[in-house]
Amino acid sequence: MEIHDERIGDTCVVTAKGRLDGGASATFADKVGSLITSPNPKLLIDFAGVDFVTSAGLRAVLLLVKRVKAAGGSFALCCVQDSVREVLDITGFTGMLSIHAARGDALAALAG
Amino acid sequence: MTTSQPRFEASTLATPEAISGLTEQVMAFLDAHGVDVRATHHAALVLDEILTNLGTHGDSPDRPARISIVVQPDKVVGEIVDAGAPFDPRLAPDPSLDLSVDDRAIGGLGLYLVRKLSCTLEYARLDGENCTTFAISRGKASPEGTQNNGNS
Repeated sequence: MEIHDERIGDTCVVTAKGRLDGGASATFADKVGSLITSPNPKLLIDFAGVDFVTSAGLRAVLLLVKRVKAAGGSFALCCVQDSVREVLDITGFTGMLSIHAARGDALAALAG
Repeated sequence: MTTSQPRFEASTLATPEAISGLTEQVMAFLDAHGVDVRATHHAALVLDEILTNLGTHGDSPDRPARISIVVQPDKVVGEIVDAGAPFDPRLAPDPSLDLSVDDRAIGGLGLYLVRKLSCTLEYARLDGENCTTFAISRGKASPEGTQNNGNS
C-alpha cells in the first residue's frame, strides 16, 4: 500500500492507495499513527485509491480514530469507493465516523 | 451431460502476505470469468476473512489450507479446508455495531462480514479438518462495471 501525507492548513491529509488488508494494516497504522503528534490533531484520510478493505484494515482505522480522539482531535474520511463504502456500512463504521464524498467537504468539516 | 464450471484451486499458509496474494489471484480469476465486480469483491473479502481468522486463531501455522473457488451461473462457491482447531464461523457472536468510537471494541468484524456477505455459509468437521463452504450471489455485470450496494 502506498501512503502519502501532506499538510493542508492545520489538517494532516493522508492519501492511501492499494489494499488495506492484513498484509498492509500494521504498516498503515504505524505510518499514519506517527503523524499524530500534536495536541488536538486533525487527520483526514483520503481513500480514493483504496479498493479493498478487510476487517484488519478497519481495525487499523479504528485504532487511529481512537488515538486522534484521545489527543482531543478530529478525524474524517473522504472519497470512499463503493466497494469499501459497503464494508463500512455493514460494519457500522458509516454511522460512527465522519465520512465525506469529496476532500473539500471533509476539510471544511474539520475546519469548522 | 454436465457443463464444466470454471474452478480455481490453491493451497496457502494463512499468513497476511500469502492471503493478500491469494485473494488477488482469486479476484483476477473471477474477473476473467465474467463475475461482476461486487460479487468478486465479496468473494475475495470472505475468503480473506476466513483465512485471516485461521491464521490468528487456528493454531496450525505450518499446515496449508486448501482452497477452491467455483463459478456457477448464479453464484460463486468457495471452500476452505484446513487443519486448524475446530471452528464453526457461523457461531461467532455478532459485534455491537451501534457503539461510539470510545466504546467500540477493536476486532470481531471479520466473521461478521463473512456471515453478512455470504448467501450460504456451511461448516463441517471432517477427518480432523475444518471444511467451510460459502456462496456469494452473482449480480448482473453492468456496462459501468459497478453496482450500487444493496445491503440492508
